[in-house]
Amino acid sequence: MNVILSIAKTTVGEAIRRRVLLVILLIGVLFLVIAPGLQTLSARQNFAVLTSFALGIIQLTSAVIAIVLTVYMIPNEIERRTIYTILSKPVQRWQFILGKYFGAIAALAMMMALMSVAFFAVFYIVQPEARSQIGNIAKGPMMFFVQMSLLAAVAMLFSTFVAPIVNMFLSGGVYLVGTLFNAVFQTISENDQLPGLVKGAAGVIYTVVPNFGQFNISNPLINPGTEIKGETLFFVQLAGYAILYITVALIIAVIVFDRREV
Amino acid sequence: MSLAIETKNLTKTYKARGGKSINVVNDLDLQVKSGEIFGFLGPNGAGKTTTIKILLGIIYPSAGTASVLGRDPGDTEVHKRISYLPEKPYYYEHMTGRELMLYYASLFGIRDAALCDKLLERVNLSNDKNRPISQYSKGMQQRVGLAQSLLNNPELIFLDEPTGGLDPIAHIEVRDLILQFREEGKTVFISSHELSDIERICDRVAIINKGEIVQQGSLDVLLAGGSTEVRAESVSDSLASTLREKGGFTMSYSSGVLLAEIPDTVNQNEIIDTLRSGKANVVSVIPRRRRLEDLFIESVKDDNVAKGRKLFNMVDKGDQEEKV
Repeated sequence: MNVILSIAKTTVGEAIRRRVLLVILLIGVLFLVIAPGLQTLSARQNFAVLTSFALGIIQLTSAVIAIVLTVYMIPNEIERRTIYTILSKPVQRWQFILGKYFGAIAALAMMMALMSVAFFAVFYIVQPEARSQIGNIAKGPMMFFVQMSLLAAVAMLFSTFVAPIVNMFLSGGVYLVGTLFNAVFQTISENDQLPGLVKGAAGVIYTVVPNFGQFNISNPLINPGTEIKGETLFFVQLAGYAILYITVALIIAVIVFDRREV
Repeated sequence: MSLAIETKNLTKTYKARGGKSINVVNDLDLQVKSGEIFGFLGPNGAGKTTTIKILLGIIYPSAGTASVLGRDPGDTEVHKRISYLPEKPYYYEHMTGRELMLYYASLFGIRDAALCDKLLERVNLSNDKNRPISQYSKGMQQRVGLAQSLLNNPELIFLDEPTGGLDPIAHIEVRDLILQFREEGKTVFISSHELSDIERICDRVAIINKGEIVQQGSLDVLLAGGSTEVRAESVSDSLASTLREKGGFTMSYSSGVLLAEIPDTVNQNEIIDTLRSGKANVVSVIPRRRRLEDLFIESVKDDNVAKGRKLFNMVDKGDQEEKV
């Protein structure tokens, strides 16, 4: 466990110094700060527009950071040969993968926390009448963090066998499909009027590609009238789903990396 | 004496484009004894780094066996007892030398800051231990690399080009450190192109070319069969003629001074006795061992290195002629 923590700690140290990530983070924070510029609507709509826009920015920026952060993690270690010094020590490959992954999500958590704090500070100033909602809205970024942890695991899995640029498109594509089209594939897989092959293929995609879309709980957050039924159970189920997919992705990553010649 | 490293028929095959197989390492039989400094030589692309990676358990052999300290190279128990300094190492530049040592120590489960400081002191980095590695010179990076390779007090150390690109002072410091390792009873496996260093510090060497061992043994045996240089003054013309008639060695004679290069296969004492009985003054008798460089060139002479050397010599000669 100490080995995993040591590798994770070093990974965080490296990640928070990567200029490209800091630039992406800065752009995200900048958008969050100028978000109140959209205040041209009524007070009720203002709340919804600001929250929706800010959560969208946090989601998009976090997804870009998660991908850029993770796709280079293992290839860089191989290219710079730091991996040889590590793997020649009593470090198992699975410990290396887990250390890298936990380091990545720790760095991601820090960056997402910074964006959330920036958003809540802006929200506190420009929405004084809705300050009591901040605690509720915070559930949005928290669920995005779970979503990004899953995305990072997927990108980590791909990074064990494809080059970083290919991985960017692959992970980005999986995220896009899992965010926007998961429901479409579910509908196709359940449509009895379609040929079996189409239904089967849609069913495979629906099962294999993680359903990233379900972690976006913006709607109930920006519409105070609506609420999630059995909220605690809902969040536990989502977390369980994420943990299951993350575990599977990391196990495959370890198996692939264990056989890989570095 | 027990073996620290042993390989039998070790082979590593890669698939090239077009499906053709290439043996990067081919039927390699290697024996490294415990407590010795072993030089692993070969031209670029000969298979040295691939062999080291197999011995570290980073890549796997396609055929044959390898054992390190009596166990499988991938065994974590082996990794606790060995260390590795890669060629042109890169370290996490955001860390200071001390932080890097603490990080690598933690990978061994060692939480001993005093040990890290002691090792940094040993490689003369005490004053720079709190500076970021990004500010370290190449020599300092190499020294911090050596310091980290000592964290677990290893029985066996793998060094890949440990003196490559270092300035003369850093070069000597690293070389002296390696000699200290032997005094401490550690086994050192060095891959290097610095033949003069290898000749100076190694007990045994192996030369690998195109994935195969072409020479392996102790330097004393491999470099035996040299010559002796004899210089004599007050040599008469008739004595010089007598010696020339004996033959079997090369000599130059001018104005009473004779310089002879006598191979070990010829009875050197007989020639020296002849000189002395002819009233010549023998001023020096210098045994000349074969150089490792010569052995290396002979061993890989069909390779590009030999061709490169020939080309270099021609250029060098051309330069000298121009200077004249």
